[in-house]
Amino acid sequence: MSRLRLKVLTAVVAFLIASAGIAAAALSSLDDLTGLQFLPSEAPSLLGPITEAGRTGWDCHPEKAATAAKWHDAELPSRP
Amino acid sequence: MRRALTLIAVAVVLAGNAAFAQTYPLAAPAPRTTDAASLRALAVSREVHERFMRGVEGLGRNDWTLASAEFARIIELNPGEPKGSTARYDLALAEVGLQHYDRAAGLLEAALRLDPGFAAAAANLVNVHLLRNDLAQARAAADRFVAIAPQAARALYARGLIALRSGDTATALADFRALLNGNPAYAVAHYDLALAEIQGGRLAEAERELDQALTLAPSFARARITLGTILLREGRRGDARLAFDEASRDAQDPALRNLALSLRDQLDTP
Repeated sequence: MSRLRLKVLTAVVAFLIASAGIAAAALSSLDDLTGLQFLPSEAPSLLGPITEAGRTGWDCHPEKAATAAKWHDAELPSRP
Repeated sequence: MRRALTLIAVAVVLAGNAAFAQTYPLAAPAPRTTDAASLRALAVSREVHERFMRGVEGLGRNDWTLASAEFARIIELNPGEPKGSTARYDLALAEVGLQHYDRAAGLLEAALRLDPGFAAAAANLVNVHLLRNDLAQARAAADRFVAIAPQAARALYARGLIALRSGDTATALADFRALLNGNPAYAVAHYDLALAEIQGGRLAEAERELDQALTLAPSFARARITLGTILLREGRRGDARLAFDEASRDAQDPALRNLALSLRDQLDTP
C-alpha cells in the first residue's frame, strides 16, 4: 500500500515538474516572440536629385524636405 | 476706282511688312567675345549645363552608370559653387544606385565641405551610413544634420531612430518628443517614442504613446502587437490576446500577420 502511495506521489511530483517546465518553455518562447516586434520604424528614403540651380534654387524639393518642420513635408514614412 | 487701287496697294505693302517683322529665335546666342579664355569658359558652362540635364534625367530612370559618368565629368570640370556641391550630391545618388556606399559617403562629405549648410546632403549622408551598417558614423552624420537644421522633422527622426537602435535612450526620447511637439499627429513618432520608453523601462508611458499611435492610425498593426506585448508583461493576458487578434486582422505584411496569429495562439494554449 505504502509503495503505491510512493508511486502516486512520485507521479504527481513528476507531473508538477513537467507542467512547470512546459509553462516555463511556453513563457520563454512567448518572450522570444514578443522581442521580435520591438523594431523601430524604417529609415526615410533618400532625398532625390537636385538640378544645376543648386539647393538655393526656388524649387529645390530635396532641400525643402530636409529642412521641413512638418513630417509630411519631410518625406518621412507614414508607417514603420 | 483709283482710291480702291491705292487702298489695295497699301494693304499689300502692310501685309509684306508684317511678314518681315516675324523673327526666329537663334538656337544659341552668338558669342560676344573672341577671347580664348572666355570662349573656353562659355564652352565649359555649356557642357556643365548639358551634363546636368542628362545626369538628372539618368537618375530619374535609374540609369546609374550614365548618371555617374555625367556627374563625374562635371566634377572634373570644376564648375564652382553651387554646381560643385550639387554635382557631388547627385553623383552620390548614382553611387548608391550602384551600391558603392563608401564612395557615396565620401562624395556627400565633399559636398558638405564645399557647402556646410547643405541640409539635403547631410540628410542623405545619414542614410548612406545606415546602408553601410555603420551606426557610429550614422550617428555622427545625424548629429551634424541636427546642427544644420535643428527644427527639421527629418533630422530629429533620423537621429532618434539611430539613438534607439544603438541604445541611447535619452537622445531617442528627447528627439522623438521634440518631433512630436511640432507633429502631434504623427503616429510613427508616437510608436518610436513608445519603444524608447520601453527601452527605459517605463511601460505605462509606452502604453500611453501606443494608445495615441493607435488612435491616430487604428490599423497600425505593429503598434498594436507592441501594445499586446506590454499588456502581456503586465499580466493582462485577455487584453493582450485581443490586441494580437486585432493586429492579425489589420496587418498587411504577411510576416507581421503570422507573428500576431502565433502570439494569439500561444495565449490560447492552456
